Parts: sequence; structure tokens; C-alpha cells
Amino acid sequence: MDAFQGLLTGFQVALSLEGIMFVLIGVIVGTLIGMMPGLGPISAIAIMIPITYGMDPAPALVMMAGVYYGAVFGGSTSSILLNAPGISGTVATAFDGYPMAQQGKAGKALAIAAISSFIGGTVSVVLLMLLAPALSSVAISFGPPAYFALMFMGLTAISSLSEGSTIKAMIAAVAGFMVVTIGIDPQTGTQRFTFGNVNLFDGFDFLIIALGLFAVAEVCMLILNRKNRSLSDDQKLGSLKLSKADLKEMSGPVSRQSFVGFLLGVLPGAGATIASFISYIFEKRIAKNPEEFGKGSIKGLAAPESSNNAATSGAFVPLLSLGIPGSGTTAVMLGAFLVLGVQPGPLLMTDRPEIFWGIIASMYLGNVFLLILNLPLIPYLAKILSIPRPLLISLVIMFSLIGVYSISFNVFDLYMLLVFGALGFAMRIFSFPAPPFILAFILGGMMEQAFRQSMTISNGSLSIFVDTPLPLSLLLVALISLLVPAFLKWRSNRLAYKQR
Amino acid sequence: MKKTIFASVLTVSALAFAGCGSEDTANTAGEDGTFEPSKGIEMVAPAGSGGGWDTTAREVARVFGETGIIDENMTVINREGGGGAIGWAYVHAKEGDAHSMFVASPPLMFVPLNGQSEHGHEDFTPLANMIADYGAFAVREDSEFEDLNDLFDQMKDDPESITVIGTSAPGSMDHMQFVRIAKAAGVDPTKIKYVSDQEGGALTAVLNGSVDVFSTGVGETIEQVRAGNIKVLGVTAEERMEGEVLSEFPTAIEQGIDESFVNWRGFFGPPGMDEAAVDYYEAKFQELSESEEFAEVREKYGWNEMYMGSEEYSEFLEGEKEEIAALLEEIGLGQ
Amino acid sequence: MLASINRKLGLLIFIVAAVYLYLSFQLPNYEYAPIDADVIPKGLGILLLVLSVFLFFSRVVETDAEKAKRNIPKKELGVIAAVFAMIFVYILLFEAIGFIITTALFIFFCSWFLGYRAWKTNILVSLLFPIVMYAIFVFALGIVLPRGILPF
Repeated sequence: MDAFQGLLTGFQVALSLEGIMFVLIGVIVGTLIGMMPGLGPISAIAIMIPITYGMDPAPALVMMAGVYYGAVFGGSTSSILLNAPGISGTVATAFDGYPMAQQGKAGKALAIAAISSFIGGTVSVVLLMLLAPALSSVAISFGPPAYFALMFMGLTAISSLSEGSTIKAMIAAVAGFMVVTIGIDPQTGTQRFTFGNVNLFDGFDFLIIALGLFAVAEVCMLILNRKNRSLSDDQKLGSLKLSKADLKEMSGPVSRQSFVGFLLGVLPGAGATIASFISYIFEKRIAKNPEEFGKGSIKGLAAPESSNNAATSGAFVPLLSLGIPGSGTTAVMLGAFLVLGVQPGPLLMTDRPEIFWGIIASMYLGNVFLLILNLPLIPYLAKILSIPRPLLISLVIMFSLIGVYSISFNVFDLYMLLVFGALGFAMRIFSFPAPPFILAFILGGMMEQAFRQSMTISNGSLSIFVDTPLPLSLLLVALISLLVPAFLKWRSNRLAYKQR
Repeated sequence: MKKTIFASVLTVSALAFAGCGSEDTANTAGEDGTFEPSKGIEMVAPAGSGGGWDTTAREVARVFGETGIIDENMTVINREGGGGAIGWAYVHAKEGDAHSMFVASPPLMFVPLNGQSEHGHEDFTPLANMIADYGAFAVREDSEFEDLNDLFDQMKDDPESITVIGTSAPGSMDHMQFVRIAKAAGVDPTKIKYVSDQEGGALTAVLNGSVDVFSTGVGETIEQVRAGNIKVLGVTAEERMEGEVLSEFPTAIEQGIDESFVNWRGFFGPPGMDEAAVDYYEAKFQELSESEEFAEVREKYGWNEMYMGSEEYSEFLEGEKEEIAALLEEIGLGQ
Repeated sequence: MLASINRKLGLLIFIVAAVYLYLSFQLPNYEYAPIDADVIPKGLGILLLVLSVFLFFSRVVETDAEKAKRNIPKKELGVIAAVFAMIFVYILLFEAIGFIITTALFIFFCSWFLGYRAWKTNILVSLLFPIVMYAIFVFALGIVLPRGILPF
């Protein structure tokens, strides 16, 4: 009843002329900034904070929320068209989005991404509305042992992210994990593999690795095929036509991964990036035709896109209902609240219902706006691909360089982009898959920290991982997901042997 | 061995920087010995956008501009990395430049003391301190501990049973503010169990009972206290703070532990900044600190006023550094 | 002979793993953590060492597609190396000369080098792209890009 009353208040805020206007401004600015190289939700929100000075908090925050999910929405464009993820949450989008665009289905790929994002965003707002207060207990239920188990579960999926040689996939994953150990170790303050170089103290930013391994490596492939200009069929590129079969194919992943993404978004520290990867793996595991993943599968594109947008709303659960920022982005978002004199937290819902519910209600509207605004843009965006290859190559290089520079403003990182670009190219030539490298880089670092935090807490006893049900059950799931495919393989081998 | 590589890398990069940045280091002092900025001022936030340093820098630059205290344009640039070390190296290379400054806080001491930056506060020209913030030690609402002495007694009896969590790495702020107070209360500082969580999970870990104590800034605790999720056993301020919830937080000193810790925030120029320029900025920062507009900013973020002019600031920092260095030495983290 | 590429790669990775492992053993000791900073790196180093041995002795035959991928004419590798060199020079001059000039030069010459001969369009794009980007970043978003030798 209270929630219903609250939601009504919320819609009053969101549907007022002022509310509609600021949601619109928010999502437009967010999408545009999200499309810029290297600028994701964090920079988008930080950039917009000064603009909200002196504004009424409700419309201002409605706008800031719009900037946030708008930026996640806009980030997928460059992933799909250029294999150059603008933000970390859209790296998994490139896995199937880019191959699809290469097959002359850029418009379709962008449309699928937009629709998946829309559904992911909308489903998660419904969940946010219904469950925000209830889920706040879920958000804080994960301690270090549970995070370790969750990350471990994610890492067991590496084998399913690769084609061909399992050994090569494992090597790529171990290498990714090794790269994340570079820098100052948070638990001890020890410098690891930094050679005393200040630029390495913080380790590598995720985007340097992603842009290097994906965008720059792809540039090398484009250079090899630069005379191949078969993609310049404008009509085809911009076509948004989705067949019934396409919609049916994406319906499964989108409906499942909207929930998965939302739940992972709720957990502090997990966020859109991890959600998009886990959703991708999830769908690949249960797919009837997993071999299509990575080659332009609709499922492989729809899964991470619905998931990363759902995670974005999920991240509002701990922020709004607990005042806990679960990620760098929501920490900046928290700053935006404070600037406006609003303190998010357990009391927000009762103290300032118009803000709490106003933001939630505005997200329905924002997601609709995003879809309406983005669909007509797609044919124009897709035209990027008809830029002559040599020019496109130069521009993608620039996109990557600006992207990396605008994260840290450090020229050293640009050299590192070049290094990882070369590594990515070498990995392609010698058939080492890049996704396991990236996955281990994201999950490995958090897994190590959670493991060692747990061990310090337990004074070195491993029993901390099995003493409580949450980490124990996550570890069991991980174990099952490792053993079942191995068992199935063994059985089918045996059957094949018997038949012979 | 490590140190030498580090030094040579820095020297090389400093030389490289000096090579490109030397366009405008001319002495801009006027004929009568006073200084007026002759072009835009570059304000460096040695961190990415959205953090504490960035916010302070942007707010200060904004209020300077809006009030017209300084006419010249102030641009905030971010130089992220190495916990600040990259930004410091960047400013350090602008020796004598009177149109460049950066925002700093205790990490400017902790990071070099941990051997992770070649530059410490003494390598720069202190201009003014503006803000003070304090540390708080919080536990879950239903915790058996009622005050700091309960906690520290338990830590003396069974140090393995208590885990402290904070956001910074060991040897940096959240860790050392706790060590400092605990040591004054008679806890063996080498027996304190500290874990660091830089991914935003620290408060969560306290709320779900994974760890016992959260060492953080006062501002981070207010809302959770109001909601009845956690209680603050003590803060590191010298005296009771003012404010709705803040005034309920007991200081360590009140509880018979004679120690405090200030999370100061102020501004520094490159080394060798002209004295006339220092005087100029010092006066401008004072004017800013006393302005109504900046009082609003402090109010908004819950910062406390703590203005110190260049000289006083220097002395204060010297004293702080000695104390921290001794403490780090004792727990074996000093370099 | 077929497995020779795996042997070479195995050997290379073995060396990388060995160096990493050596460095892990050099990490300083920290007293207060039951699992110190060197434990995971040592584990990773050993794992990679083992994997490289597996790769070395792996009998998996390269597929034709994999072989084709590897088979790149020397001249093309030279082109890629040249583009990398151009990027390197770009980074080198980026902060000193400034974003607009270096970016314009890079786009023009890189596109030219890769065979783009429509020089009028090329000049137009090379000028517009950096100027628009610079305007968006610096003036609209307040993110400072290197100004370099230009006055604005």
C-alpha cells in the first residue's frame, strides 16, 4: 500500500512537464556521452554534477539517473560497430555484436541491442520497484567468502568461453589473471611486478586491456583485409528488420538475463561488467547451439545487453535503500545526491518519497525514451561502417587512444594500449582466445582479494568457505558446472567407443 | 635496488616533463613585489573524476570563479594513478610555476612513507589548508561493544578475534588512523588484523558481520547511524563535532584515549613557488574559506573548516609526518 | 613438423612463466596476512609453467583455418608495424604538440598510407574529427585534452 502510494507520488514527479523534460535531457546526454570514447557512466555523471547546482533535487536526480542508464545504453554502439567497447560493461556485447555487424547486419545488431537494453532496463525497474526494500538484505548478504565463491563460479566458465584448444584458453586465462596481479596489492601494500614504475602502481585499467585486445587487435585484422570492401552496402547495413524468428530467439536470453543482471547489479562490487559476462556465459552454457556464440549469435548479443542494463538499475538497490555505493559509478552517483542535499539510505524512502519513487518511476519513462530515440538513429550510426576502410582504421585507432587517455590522462597508458594491441594481435594469429583473458582479468583480481580477506578474517582457516550456506552453495554450483560437462563428455566418448 | 630503478625512472620522467613544460616559468611577480596571476591557473586533482580530491578541487575552482575572488580562470585537470603519485610527479616537474597547484590530504604523507612515491609534502610549497575531516570507528548496531574501551579491551585479550576493515591499503589512512588510536589505548599495534576492500564492499562486510570494525570517515557513517544499522564507537576529532548526528559521536579523547587524527585537505604549489605568489594564494584561500559561498559548500559535504596559512600548515605537517613515520616504523611498514 | 608451432609457443610461454615465477619469489614479505601477496602469483606461475609443457607436447594438429590465420605475408606485417610506429610517434608528440594537430596529422597520413587516395575528403575528416572531438571534450564536457602549441 505504502509502496503503491509512493509510486503514485513518483509518477507525479516523473510525469510532470519538468520531470519529462529532465528525463529526456538526462537520457540524451547520457547516450551521447556513452558513445564517446572512454567516457562511460562515471564520467557522464561527474560531468553533469555541476549542472545540477541549485536545481530542485527531484528533477535533478531524475536527470542524473537518466544520464547513468543512458550512458550504459549508448556504450554498446562502438562495441558493435567497431569492436571498440567504450565502457567496460559493453565488452561482452562485442563478442557477438561485432561479428554480426561484420556480416552486414549492423542495423539488426544495433536494434537487438537497443531492444534487449530496453527490456533489461524495464524488467529491472519493475523488480527495483517491487523489491528494493526487500532486496537490501540480499545486497549486504555477501561477505568476502561469498564473493570469493561467486568469482570462482564465474571463472569455472572459462572453458565454455573458448573454441578449439582448451590448453590455449587456459593459458589465456592464466595470463589475464597474471596481468591483474600487477600493481600495489591492496591487502599488503606490496608492489607486485611494478619495477618501481609509478604508472604501474594502480595496475592496468580494464579499458586499456579491452581496447587493446579487441579494438587495436581488430584494427590489425582490418589492415590485413583493408582492400576488402564488401561491407559498403548501405541499404543492408542500416536495415532494422527483425524477423519473428529473431525475436523469438532473443526472447529467452533477454527474459532470463534481465533477472540475472539485476541480481548481480544489486551486489556491491559486481556491477554491469561482471553481470554482462556472467549472462553471456550462462546463455552459452544452456544454448542448444553454443558453437554459434562468438560468430554473431543473436542470443550472445541479447544476453549481455539486457544484463548490463538490468544491472544498472540493480545497482540502485543498495544505493537508494542502504546508501551503499556498490561501484565506482554509484559512488559518484552518491556524490550527485549529496550535492543536492539528499542523503540516500534507509531513510530516503520515508523522508523523501518523491525522490525515491520519482527516480524509479522516471526509469520507465527513460527506457522508453531511449528506445524511441535510438531506433531511428540506427541507420545513421550503421553508416559508420561504410566509411572507406583506411579512414575507418585511422578513426578506430583514434577512438581507442582518446578513450584510454580520457580515463587516466596518462600517456604511459597509451603506450600500454599499444602493447596490449600487439598482444591481442599475436593471440589472434596463434589462436589464443581473448575472452578468457578478459574474464580472468576481471574476476581474478576480485577473487584473489576476496580469498585473502577471508583468510585474514578466519586467521588462515579454509573452513570459512564452507561454514555458511551462501559460499558453500555457490561453490557447489561451481563444482557441478565443472563436473557435469566433463562427465557428459566422458559418457559420450564411451558411447562412441562402444558403438565402434 | 628497487629504489634506484624508481629514482631513475622518476628522474627521466621529470626531465621529460621539464622539457615540455618549461614554456612559462618566468617570474610573474610585479614590480612592487606583489603577485597577480597573469593567465589561467591549473588546478590538479591527482585522481580520477568524482572522488574526494576531484570534488574539492572542482568546488574550490567553482567558488573562486563565482565569487570573483580570483578573476583568472581556474581549470581542474585530473592526473590519476599511483594513489596520487602520478599527479604529484606532474606538479613537481613544474618547479617555480606560479600558475599551478594541486589538492592534497594525508595520503600525501602515507604514500611516500609507504615507499610508493618519490615526492612527499615537503617537496611542495604549502599554500593553505581548507578543510578538516575526521575518522570514525563503527560496529554493527547489535555489537557487544558499547565504546572504544570495550573494543580495545577485547583486542588486548584476544587480538585474533577482531578484524578491522577499511578502504585504503595497509599503512594508509583508514588503517593508520585506527592503529594510532588503538596504540594510544594500549593495544599492541603489531597484532591488529586489518583487511582492505577497495571495491566498495567494506560497509557491507560490517553489516553482514563478516568483519567487526569499520574504520572510515565520519561522513560515511552518518546515514547508517540514523537508520540504526551501525553505531560509532568513537571519532578521531579533538572535540565533539557539531551537527545533528555528529554531536552524538564520542571522541576518543573523551573516552580517556589521548589521541586524535585529522584528515586535512589543502592546497600545494610546485616546489620553489615565488614568495609573492604564496602570499597571494594564501590570502585568496583565506578569503574563500571565510566566504559565505564556501561555507555552503562545507555544509553540503559535511566538511569542517580548518584554515591554515602556508607557514602554520608546514609546521603542522612536519609534526604529523614525524608521528606517522614512527608509527609505521613500529608496525614494520615504514620504508 | 606439424606440431612445431605449438613447440615454439610452448617454449616462449615457458620462459614467460619462469620469469614471472622468478619475480614472484622476489616479492617482499608482509607479516600480517596469512596469505601473503606472493601466494597467488606463485600459483599462477606454476600453473602457466605446467600449461606451457602441455602445449609443448600437445599432439593436437592445427586446423587449416588456424594455419591460414598464421600465414601472413611479410609485407603485410610490415604495414602493421608501420601503423604501430605511427601510433607510437603520435603518442610521443601528443602532449607536446597538442591533440588537434597530432590527431589531424595522424588521421591524414595513416589513411593515406593505408591506401586512401580521396585526399579532399581525407583532409576534411582529418581536420573536422579532432576539432569536433576537442570542442566536445574541452568546451562541452570540461575534460581537458592537451592543448599543445595551439592558443586555445
